[in-house]
Amino acid sequence: MSRRSMLATAGATLAGGALLLRGGAAHAQPSPAPTASPRAAAKAPARRDWLAPGMPGRDYQPVIVPNGAKLPWKVVDGVKVFHMVAEEVEHEFAPGLKATCWGYNGQVHGPAIEVVEGDRVRFYVTNRLPAPTTVHWHGLILPSGMDGVGGLNQKSIPPGETYRYEFTIKQTGTGMYHSHHDEMTQMALGMVGLFIMHPRRPVGPRVDRDFALMLHEWRIDPGAKRPDPNEMTDFNILTFNAKAFPGTEPLVVRKGDRVRIRLGNLSAMDHHPIHLHGYHFRVTETDAGRIPESAQFPETTVLVPVGSTRTFEFVADAPGDWAMHCHMTHHVMNQMGHDLPNLIGVKPGDLDAKVRTLLPGYMTMGQEGMGDMGDMGMAMPGNSIPMTGANGKYGYITMGGMFTILKVRERLDGEGDPGWYEAPAGTVAMEASLDELRKDGIDVAAPPRAEPGSPMSKLRG
Amino acid sequence: MRALFLAGAALLASGCATIQKERGHAEVAALVEERIGRKTRWNQGTPEDAEVARHLDTLLAKDLSSDDAVEIALLNNPALQATYEDLGVSQADMVQAGLLTNPTLSGSIGFPLSNDGVSETEFSLVQEFVDLFTLPLRKRVAKEQFIADTLRVAHEALATAAEVKKTYSQVQARQQLVELRRMVLEAADSAAQLATLQFGAGNITELELANERAAAEEARLELAQEELALVEDREHLNRLLGLWGPRTQWTLTEKLPAPPGEEAPLEHLESLAIRQRLDIDAARKQVELLWNALELSRSTRFIGRFEVGVHTHRDANGPRLFGPTLSLDLPIFDQRQALIAKLEAQHRQGERRLTELSVNARSEVRAARARLLTLRGVTERYHRVVLPLREKVVEQTQLQYNAMQLGLYVLLEAKRAQVTAWRAYIEAVRDYWMARAELEQLVGGRLPSTPGEAPPVPALPSPSPTQGHESHPGHGHGATP
Repeated sequence: MSRRSMLATAGATLAGGALLLRGGAAHAQPSPAPTASPRAAAKAPARRDWLAPGMPGRDYQPVIVPNGAKLPWKVVDGVKVFHMVAEEVEHEFAPGLKATCWGYNGQVHGPAIEVVEGDRVRFYVTNRLPAPTTVHWHGLILPSGMDGVGGLNQKSIPPGETYRYEFTIKQTGTGMYHSHHDEMTQMALGMVGLFIMHPRRPVGPRVDRDFALMLHEWRIDPGAKRPDPNEMTDFNILTFNAKAFPGTEPLVVRKGDRVRIRLGNLSAMDHHPIHLHGYHFRVTETDAGRIPESAQFPETTVLVPVGSTRTFEFVADAPGDWAMHCHMTHHVMNQMGHDLPNLIGVKPGDLDAKVRTLLPGYMTMGQEGMGDMGDMGMAMPGNSIPMTGANGKYGYITMGGMFTILKVRERLDGEGDPGWYEAPAGTVAMEASLDELRKDGIDVAAPPRAEPGSPMSKLRG
Repeated sequence: MRALFLAGAALLASGCATIQKERGHAEVAALVEERIGRKTRWNQGTPEDAEVARHLDTLLAKDLSSDDAVEIALLNNPALQATYEDLGVSQADMVQAGLLTNPTLSGSIGFPLSNDGVSETEFSLVQEFVDLFTLPLRKRVAKEQFIADTLRVAHEALATAAEVKKTYSQVQARQQLVELRRMVLEAADSAAQLATLQFGAGNITELELANERAAAEEARLELAQEELALVEDREHLNRLLGLWGPRTQWTLTEKLPAPPGEEAPLEHLESLAIRQRLDIDAARKQVELLWNALELSRSTRFIGRFEVGVHTHRDANGPRLFGPTLSLDLPIFDQRQALIAKLEAQHRQGERRLTELSVNARSEVRAARARLLTLRGVTERYHRVVLPLREKVVEQTQLQYNAMQLGLYVLLEAKRAQVTAWRAYIEAVRDYWMARAELEQLVGGRLPSTPGEAPPVPALPSPSPTQGHESHPGHGHGATP
């Protein structure tokens, strides 16, 4: 059977949607290829239900995984073969903060897996952890025995052993993978990854830049060196691809590019409303596939629930540096402490001098909020990062955690970071001149005014 | 006859012993100085005593040291001065024992009731001579009694010295404890001040404010209690030093010394105690003198009253007669068996008491040594482990504070816990020195090779503002240039 005829068959079934790949349509596939080895014949399904391996550049445009990695593969007898090693990984969340996590192949999160609809995939999973583990292929349509729930679908992989998973990709979209043995611990330590499934034939408008980001949350106390899996509510490191701002790599695109951003969320306890500045976008996919165009509606924020993926697309027609971040305000803080006394508006007076007799170096902090907490230059616990961000073009960016920057430029030189956006003259907010104020009749000393918002409102003054 | 007179005259001369006021005190002073290096002095209102008073004022004018305090107590402790007078009493007894019973001169005159007679006179001089045989032994008994009393007085002086040392350590420790208590108050006060500011800014409830203020007020009262305890400790020392009036204004700034780096060997303290403890020595002397008294009684058991005399007598119409007299008790009924039995019993009692004292002394020495070593271990544990850990807690809390993981309340609480550990440490050091003074007293003198000058306990440290691992100056790193 030639590849061309396979494609023709597949094309026919795809026209009717991915679902048709299952069941009767799949079973109607011709018998296995004659090259199948005796071992494969013994363990693989009797009927061959897959296509020739989809190749990057030819069959799909690879995704960009900022700060991330991809899982390599080779083709053996028409099957894409992967090797995953579950192991302890020393991971850096941002410069200054490292922790011992659990991941795959030296990466946290695990490398993104990128396949094509119709691929036959085989995963060898070696467990180098001290605990048993499994891999669950989240959102994928596959045989029950390959679903990876320890105890339910398989025996969990004991430490030191290697198990094999094998199935055919029968869908498109953004899936995920993660441990399904002692999920609470293993996922909190980082054992998650993205599973990108490209359509065999392009669907929708052509995309120029296809970014894939995994959302996650962690608890690492400043000075500690391992995420705390027991945390249930008070997470203090929020990440895109396991990086907290300023550790996050910007998403760089050329003006006019059609941009796709895939977001998966395997946080322990939080959904994340991801907000993109500067654009309206349309959510085009969930983890179960493409949303019909008629059902896509414009958004500026997409809520990514725990255990889901969302994909949105837009045309990057507005150059600039645009923030993209979770809109939960505590999710854009790094290692925020939540046991602080509320000091907003407190004037310390002689308190500092008094406390310094007991504790030299003491200084009252937080009277004006947390905005200064990034760059005070005070002694910090080892292995910790400031609560808020990094220096930007115009000053300190008081954001950390789940925050990154979409950089849209007219021209790009190579793949690197293009630096800060040079805004055209007159398009940056700046201090108003006295002339402007006078011309527009603004008296800054006058009592500020507001008008009733309803006929029943009473206002001060 | 003539010889008899001569003998009598010699005895009379030998019996005329005098009392020397200073006697015994020199021995006490020597015994005490040998053991603790400071002399006792018996204040008898002489010009030299005025000199002593001036010396006392000199000692009190400078910063009071532990040794000075001991010296002052030995010179000035009223109870000790009263005890010194025991020596006078004892010495008087001893002199008394050396005196012979006075001879008896008796005379009589008889007038005739009728006219045909003349008056008759009779004189006799009688000396009781049993004393003559018993005198040396009696003197020995009395001397031993005096020595035993001397030992006892010296023992009292040493006991007073030990108590002074202990009380001195208590005052030292209490001064430091007051300082630490003041820090606790400062911490509580700062927390209350922060709460007041927060409440003023509308950030906390009145409940939280009241809690913080109540805690601060309690800390204030605890400080007042501690200050009172210091006054009481000082007064205890004043009583031991016999001070009143302006002399109570002494100052003591010396910090409690840390236990010496190495403990002197404490192996043979039991035998040392048996050897040099003065109360044991006194008990031993007591047994000896009881034995001698017993001997005395036994040797004289058949000697009753034994009087020799001369008498002259003129009869009415006869010549004047002159001749010796002799009168003897016949030990038929009373052979002093009761007295001897009593003395035997007392002697045995004395031996048992000596045994008891020795056994107890050994046990007390062992217990005190164990206490000393344990307290030493405790202070070392505090010094090497607990205090550095508490310091680290404060340091790390401050870093966590800098990282805004926790607030001033938690920071102050860490400081308070550190101060509390320091208080416990100071108390342990104080107890160590008191145990040491106790052990010295039980051993009857300084411990073998008392370690040299110990450094004072280090002051409670404060984390320096530069401490900490890293600082975060503005961040120029990350994905953005």
